[in-house]
Amino acid sequence: MARPPAACGRAGSTGAALTAMLRVSGVSKRFGGLTVLRSVSFQVAEGAIVGLIGPNGSGKTTLFNVITGFHPPDGGDVVFMGRRLVGLAPFEIARTGIARTFQVVRPFAGLTTADNVAAAVLYGRGARHVREARAEARHWLQYVRLEGAADAAVSALTLGEKKRLELARALATGPRLLLLDEVFAGLNPAESAGAVDLVRRVRDDLRITVLLVEHVLRIVMGLCEHVVVLGSGQVIAQGPPVAIQADPQVRHIYLGEGYGAAG
Amino acid sequence: MSRAVAAGLAVVLLIFPWVGTGEYPLALLYSTFMYVALAVAWNVIGGFAGYLSFGHAAFFGLGGYTTGFFLVRAGLSPFLTAPLGAAVAAAFAALAGYPCLRLRGPYFAVVTMILGLAVRAVVLNLPWTGAAEGLWMTLPPWEPIVARRAFYYAMLAVALVTVLAGRAVRLGKIGVGLEAIREDEEAAQSIGVPVVRLKMSALILSAGLTGLAGGIYAYDRSYIHPDFMFDLHLSVLAVLMALLGGRQSWAGPILGAVVVRLVDEALTVRVGTEAARIIFGLGLALVIVLLPDGVLPYLERLRWRAPRPPAAVPAAQARP
Repeated sequence: MARPPAACGRAGSTGAALTAMLRVSGVSKRFGGLTVLRSVSFQVAEGAIVGLIGPNGSGKTTLFNVITGFHPPDGGDVVFMGRRLVGLAPFEIARTGIARTFQVVRPFAGLTTADNVAAAVLYGRGARHVREARAEARHWLQYVRLEGAADAAVSALTLGEKKRLELARALATGPRLLLLDEVFAGLNPAESAGAVDLVRRVRDDLRITVLLVEHVLRIVMGLCEHVVVLGSGQVIAQGPPVAIQADPQVRHIYLGEGYGAAG
Repeated sequence: MSRAVAAGLAVVLLIFPWVGTGEYPLALLYSTFMYVALAVAWNVIGGFAGYLSFGHAAFFGLGGYTTGFFLVRAGLSPFLTAPLGAAVAAAFAALAGYPCLRLRGPYFAVVTMILGLAVRAVVLNLPWTGAAEGLWMTLPPWEPIVARRAFYYAMLAVALVTVLAGRAVRLGKIGVGLEAIREDEEAAQSIGVPVVRLKMSALILSAGLTGLAGGIYAYDRSYIHPDFMFDLHLSVLAVLMALLGGRQSWAGPILGAVVVRLVDEALTVRVGTEAARIIFGLGLALVIVLLPDGVLPYLERLRWRAPRPPAAVPAAQARP
């Protein structure tokens, strides 16, 4: 099996390294006897929206957890804007400018919507005063159209609203790179279209680079400029969406015959 | 609580020992201040950060024993020994906290409870702590009323310092960080909260303040023994007072402590110790079952209900 991405991850390709914001090279991760990631290498160019796809269990979320420091890799390297991330605690990685959302939403349930975001302003960006952080939190809530729910308890929000809250919380840390783990899952078509629009605005207006895990291929193909395909913990293909759609190996392993059906 | 009420209360408490007050009310308020300090100090780690410690008697006892040790062996002034007690309790928390705070929920509760019992066992068996005989201190030759006034003010100061510290933590940046930790540590990490450092700081502060109260208490009793300085009952009481009052706010544990102390006293005087324990235990259980967030949030909700319509407008706007 050819693994073209391995070559891209090498330090030799200086032309790519200049524009690569995130470089994942040769990352491996095992849980006990189970190898979840095998020598995964790919890059995320600054300003891009990159999609990470693959069947269930292919290691997408684990890869996110390795990048964000929740699961230290067993081998390989993660470099973000010239800085090695392996060995840093998750909160330190967050402060280098990487924010994330979670596959299953994890807002701070006991806090108000505004304080969820204020916490991110305080700790992600190093704001000192709670009052200022709360004021800025309202700005981010407005950005994701949740301003009306600022003082509401999180439990009163719908799933779509909780996802937007998580996005606001991530944005409030002032990231350069945003990792989105299945933000569109469980949304109705209208909410989903709104979320796609939101992700585009995040990249276009805020100039935040986006790496997203997604199951709905229609969304990935329409939104991303570059797609990385994981299968059984390995990168099996990567390239522009058109090339990915045409790749026979990807079609066989991942897309199958039912390609086109929205998840 | 408004500023005027707080100032008025402070004035009343300050002049209270000089308005012909006898020893009994001073002793009652003294122990109330101590309970307030214990509940508020416990709440910094137990309430704000959500780490239910059942071992705070360890910090209380360490503060007391440090005080006793330096008074007896080194002849230091109690003004020095009580802060030293706080420092020793905090240092112990720094050592024990690192492994303990890796556990959560019931595991943390059980381990801290065992830790409290272990410290008691160690102190019982060390020769230089007086072991099972306890440790005697000599008080200055004060008149009883003078002593009561002195300890009244000392414990009032401890309670005040503790409440101000708890309030500052809760309303400041650290409070938001601890709340985030309480709700979800991984999500907190993901937005840059230094989870381990914050939890450790909260525990160390909580332990230090508890040790300070223990130091004053030890000097007041002038005889200390592991049985009551490292009493599991004390650990449990700290938890109960905070839960009763409401552990999300800085003021909740104050209310809990005052209610527990005064009701306990009233019942003991009226119906005797044994019956008081039973009635009191039942009452506490009822409150905790019916008002899981504590009494204070319930009172606040009652207060808001009357003058304002429910916040239906913002909720309606939230719908797309």
